[in-house]
Amino acid sequence: MKHTRGRHGSHMLILQSILSGILVGGVYALVGIGLTLIFGVMRVINFAHGDLLMLGMYATWWIFTKTGIDPYLSLVLTAPLLFAWGALLQTAFINRILGSLPQNQILLTIVLGLVMRNTMLLIFTSDYQILTTSYSSSSFRLFGLSVSQPLLYSFLVTAVITAALYGFLMRTDTGQAIRATAQDREAAQLMGINVSRMSILAFGLGTALAAIAGALLAPTYYIYPDVGAPFTLKAFVVVVLGGMGSVVGATLGGVLIGVAESLGGAWVAGLKDLNVYVLFLLILLFKPSGLLGKSRM
Amino acid sequence: MSTPVPPPRTPVELRPFRLFPGFAWPSFGAWVAAIALLALVPLFVKKPLLLHMWIMVFLAVAQGSAWNVVGGYAGQYSVGHAAYFGVGAYTTMMLLELHQIAPWWGVGLAILNAVIVSVVIGAITFRLRGPYFVLGSIAVAEIVRLGALYWKGFTKGAEGILLSGIPPLQITQDWTIAFVGKRPFFYAALMLAVLVVAANWFVQNTKLGFYFQAIREDQDAAHSLGIGPALHKSIALAISAAFTAWAGSLFALYVRFIDPNIVIGLDVSVQMVLICIIGGIGTILGPVVGAFVLTLLSETLRNPKWLVQAGLFSDESPVIAFIQQRLANTHVLFYGILVVAVILFAPDGILGLARDATARVRRRLAAGGRRARQPAEG
Repeated sequence: MKHTRGRHGSHMLILQSILSGILVGGVYALVGIGLTLIFGVMRVINFAHGDLLMLGMYATWWIFTKTGIDPYLSLVLTAPLLFAWGALLQTAFINRILGSLPQNQILLTIVLGLVMRNTMLLIFTSDYQILTTSYSSSSFRLFGLSVSQPLLYSFLVTAVITAALYGFLMRTDTGQAIRATAQDREAAQLMGINVSRMSILAFGLGTALAAIAGALLAPTYYIYPDVGAPFTLKAFVVVVLGGMGSVVGATLGGVLIGVAESLGGAWVAGLKDLNVYVLFLLILLFKPSGLLGKSRM
Repeated sequence: MSTPVPPPRTPVELRPFRLFPGFAWPSFGAWVAAIALLALVPLFVKKPLLLHMWIMVFLAVAQGSAWNVVGGYAGQYSVGHAAYFGVGAYTTMMLLELHQIAPWWGVGLAILNAVIVSVVIGAITFRLRGPYFVLGSIAVAEIVRLGALYWKGFTKGAEGILLSGIPPLQITQDWTIAFVGKRPFFYAALMLAVLVVAANWFVQNTKLGFYFQAIREDQDAAHSLGIGPALHKSIALAISAAFTAWAGSLFALYVRFIDPNIVIGLDVSVQMVLICIIGGIGTILGPVVGAFVLTLLSETLRNPKWLVQAGLFSDESPVIAFIQQRLANTHVLFYGILVVAVILFAPDGILGLARDATARVRRRLAAGGRRARQPAEG
């Protein structure tokens, strides 16, 4: 009797892990899509991506504490704000080094992240900030599984935004221009596409997506200046898993990583991150083009 | 049938004396003089903070130059060198604190250990190229760091290892070196820095180093000429890892406390790359210049008291107070802004800037000379 209940319990634990993994994975997907968009269009790996997410978290938290606007509502403010910030970063910094060594590009983004992190450290100190909403720790019951409310909401928002972004990229002229730039920068330029505008757009969009992910995570995470670093690395895993430059791949990769992490964490808590990196190395080595092969976007 | 006339022998030119490849008296003399002067520093400088500055500079020189071997000459931008730094620091400290093995054996074992680790890491990551290699190297270093955090029974995890004391080193019956105060560390760090810079010299001027540079310029072309990329990248990495581990050991013994985030954190890897970028990648002098600039900048912002000890400012000087009160937590910020400026405006580093400036002056002088001659002709 006890034995069967134990087995049932472990089944539920696995199901529970998979479910929360999928929900968290949605947010990872959002971070990954931003990174893959930037890489696709500019061939620049943005090491400051997690720090942009951190900025999104702080913006959401700041608006919430000052005005009490719900973090999911304030997206309409934070997303355009961070879009502008991303566009500024692109024009002021990234654009100048597009032709230089990839190594210098990587270092530039690493250091830009460092600067953002330390600026926030100076303004808000390294204290953990908490954004508590009425639903921060509440959950639904569904077939005996508990579904965290904030995670569910964020997953729904993620799904809507991903669908909208996909529609934008596939259906609109601008989206097509972005895809063309990603496919072949020079050819796109020859076809009369304003490549540098597409780059600004892509970096802005990528930044906004990272910020949205930050805003969605804000109700369930501690907010502090260094919060972004693990997300940067996780975003790489997501993107490499799905194939650099592929939006669909990044979506899939995000959910997969969320589940892998959640399952790994269910067994050995301390090995959660380690598993992700080992998985990352294995993919880099054996399937460097990603699970979806060569598809772009 | 006439016997073929032997071709006239060209007179053998007397080759200039070369102690080793790339040897040239002026620069060799300058280096020896600089090292000799540095060796005399502790005789005149007694203030602990000033010696501390020198030690930090030497350690930075060692780190930057060690990275330069694989990053600058072989062109493999590893952003995971913290793994070797950490392996060096942990091997030495664990042997000393947990197994009572003296650090002069410990450092040797640390270097050996790092070389073995580098062969394994190289076998994994050198299959990747460009940005993928960078990502792979970061992932490997993070795996090492998370491993060190996780296996508490082995490494004491996040708790870290605190050094209780270094046994005196007995060289002869009546010559022992006690590792107290800063002076022994000054010489140990200076010696390491000199060795790593010398290693860079050899890499720049010997055949082995030419192979590295060929791989950097075009791996496929080098490969088609018979230079095995896997082998030579691994050799470059092993040299680099050995010196990095040595620097890590020395850092651990000097600072007396390590934990995974201090010695294996991503910041350590990034700093090694930045030293080279700021000074000038793939040059002998570059990492030396970069180490001076970065260390002086970050240590000054962190603790400006050395300026007082150096006699540059008085203790009550408003400059010191300003730095301490206003800029105490900004050293990373300034550091970051400096690097952004260097990458944007001086992609070849400070050395590159200096080279451009001297070239410009020389051109102007030459142009001035021509103009001065012209009126005489016409």
